[in-house]
Amino acid sequence: MVKRGKLEIMRDILKLIKENKNFIKPTPLLRKSGLSSTGFKEYYSELLKRNLIREITDKNQDKQVVLTERGFRFLERYNSIIDFIEDFDL
Amino acid sequence: MVPFITGRAIAGNQMISNFLSGMFGLEVLYSCVIIICSLMIYYATKEMYELSSYKGIKYFRQAFLFFAIAYFFRSFIKLVLIYFNAEGILEFSPRIFGVFTLFIFMYFSFMAIFYLLYSVMWKKWNGNSRKIYLFHILAFVVSTIIISLRNPFIYLGLNFFLLIIIVFIVYTAYKSTKNKTKGHNLYAVYLLLFIFWILNILNVLIPRFFQNLQLLIYLASSGIFLMILYKVLKKVGN
Repeated sequence: MVKRGKLEIMRDILKLIKENKNFIKPTPLLRKSGLSSTGFKEYYSELLKRNLIREITDKNQDKQVVLTERGFRFLERYNSIIDFIEDFDL
Repeated sequence: MVPFITGRAIAGNQMISNFLSGMFGLEVLYSCVIIICSLMIYYATKEMYELSSYKGIKYFRQAFLFFAIAYFFRSFIKLVLIYFNAEGILEFSPRIFGVFTLFIFMYFSFMAIFYLLYSVMWKKWNGNSRKIYLFHILAFVVSTIIISLRNPFIYLGLNFFLLIIIVFIVYTAYKSTKNKTKGHNLYAVYLLLFIFWILNILNVLIPRFFQNLQLLIYLASSGIFLMILYKVLKKVGN
């Protein structure tokens, strides 16, 4: 199995949220991400810190994760970012 | 009646004619092209970096920001030389002014090259960002040596030594790169950029050295920067 890069993992997590109608609980997100609990925590807090995702509380007082505008923009620009990195060998 | 012209007026006329000569126009145009290209590269990649926080993009952007700063000071030095009809910035009086400007120019020049090099090497060097501090120290030491010794030929020697190291590092990076077809053009462009950058600095330190080749150096350097800008804008626009 090919090891995913950091940006690729971030893209995958954001994509999972988007595909779930931009509304998912952290536990199913962890399960679907295919990461270890520690790895997921690291990425999750980084995504929060970078303002790509945010946490909201639904009417049942459950924590849900949604994409921010920046998160959507990241998904939109992901291919060109990767293309740029590869092209300039960065 | 013959108008009375003082020595000062003649010197003033000389300065004005120098100013209006092709040299001045060429310098301004050349500097503007490079500074605009560098700043366009810096700002065009801003969103990419903000979204990804990718270190390689950060170093790449910083390299071009340093190029813009260095070229600003380079053109400033050249304009001072043209304006005062001076031979070289190291002989310029008041000396402290020339030394200070030259030091800033040297420091940012080296940092621009080091950052560009680091942008392609940081992963191969295990992302060790301590090397950046080493580069700052190296740039500071080399600039101080050049300023203190005031000998352009020492500078020439140091630069050729650095060029050899850079060629070696770039060649090693190219050999280990996975995508040879993509990487090939890029490394050739970077090497040309390094070579013309050194010629540009020599042109500031020893203006007579390249008197006849100045236009060629300017055209080639502008061409390299425009080529990189084109590649960046093509990718960013996608």
